Amino acid sequence: MVGSGLRIFNAYPAFARKGEMFCCYPFEHKAIPAWLTFGGWLGGARHWHFAMMWVLVVNGLVYLTFIYLHGEWRDLVPRKGDIRDSWQMVKFYTFKRKDHPHQGKHNALQKAAYFLLPIFGALAVVTGIAIWKPVELAPLTAVFGGYVWARYWHFIAMLAIVILSVVHVFMVFAVDPYSITSMITGNYDPSLSPEARNARPFYHLFPRRARPAAAPPPPAST
Amino acid sequence: MNIDPRKFISINGIDRRDFLVRGSGLVSAAFLAACDSRGPKAADKLLKYAERKNLPIERKLFRHTSMDVVQGGAHDAGNKLPSYFISRTVPVWDESVRGKWALEVSGLVGNPVRLTIEDLQRLPQVSNRVNHYCVEGWTAVETWTGVPFTELARLVRADPQALYVDFQSFDDDYHESWDIESAMHKQTVVAYGLDGKMLEPAHGAPARVYSPVKLGYKNTKYLTRVVFMPKMNGGYWSDAGYEWYGGT
Repeated sequence: MVGSGLRIFNAYPAFARKGEMFCCYPFEHKAIPAWLTFGGWLGGARHWHFAMMWVLVVNGLVYLTFIYLHGEWRDLVPRKGDIRDSWQMVKFYTFKRKDHPHQGKHNALQKAAYFLLPIFGALAVVTGIAIWKPVELAPLTAVFGGYVWARYWHFIAMLAIVILSVVHVFMVFAVDPYSITSMITGNYDPSLSPEARNARPFYHLFPRRARPAAAPPPPAST
Repeated sequence: MNIDPRKFISINGIDRRDFLVRGSGLVSAAFLAACDSRGPKAADKLLKYAERKNLPIERKLFRHTSMDVVQGGAHDAGNKLPSYFISRTVPVWDESVRGKWALEVSGLVGNPVRLTIEDLQRLPQVSNRVNHYCVEGWTAVETWTGVPFTELARLVRADPQALYVDFQSFDDDYHESWDIESAMHKQTVVAYGLDGKMLEPAHGAPARVYSPVKLGYKNTKYLTRVVFMPKMNGGYWSDAGYEWYGGT
């Protein structure tokens, strides 16, 4: 979706209406590098975009239904103190704090990312519909400030999704590679958690010491 | 006989780790190769299927009551309106060679007509200040003056079985066929005026079809014939691979 979207964008890599200027994009009329694009040409990219949009929508609905039915949405909704906890995580990652803040399933920054991702996903879908049908669904397009702005928010939503995804994958490898196992099997060894390892990106990737072996209790001989 | 699965795997020299490493290598190679490509050939069928399935959805979304409205404060594009044609040079109707220009309206109609530019101007006239939606993603505000398409349909007594309309031009073989409902939209005009002046060759003189409910490429310039048809008839850019519907 991103690649084909960028190929479509490259057909007119700007936001301004003809005969106008656009305030809020510093790279007007500068094409995205071709290697980041997909679809080969405008028509091809549009076909990919309009086919894969259904996959994105179904995927999003399956995800939301799943976390709703499993109650896992509770791990993602913001709660009181999340901002404070996020700030503590920032301090920890920037070495202004020594010990890893206490966390639940996700740390506060992670939680914010996972909460925002479906929101930006939904924004991408809805702004996409708004620029797909700016006349037939004009009221929707108007919600985003008209076609030009809806196209802009569509772009911003894509950027946000890309940034969140790239940071997410980076952090998996740099902070918590052990979670890859749990993503597949569902099992998680808490003694390897970033909190247990006091792990920052590339710091304490390995457990600090060997886990104490479950040694049999000493013989109770006197 | 016992087959030890681990042995079996080691005979092939690929264990799970190897598989993951090689597999991810292959996936990334495929990904890199795919960049700026048209994607795998095998996907063409899937993409065609998606376009076929999207078409009825788009047609269902169409409303005769949905009007394009220009945002307050939007500026006219004026001479910033790009000019596209497929001929080598700007197509100009040469009267000394082709005789007087006239628009033929025919096909599944009760009363086929040929209309000169003066005839067109005598028909009911509207001016619509509307957005132009280009397939490339830009928009431009312009005022189009001409005959509402519905007036032409009434004049020629279009047959109810004419579910499509083909707009043909003298810009080489350029033409685009439309669904009848988009053609009968209130904002669809056969335009001979732009921004208060007669249409110039750069924008499709003597007359072109113009509607904000279709993307730019569907709006045939340099019109010669408007043909009512029972079936769709593709089009220049539709046949080249853009969506046939091209609706907004």
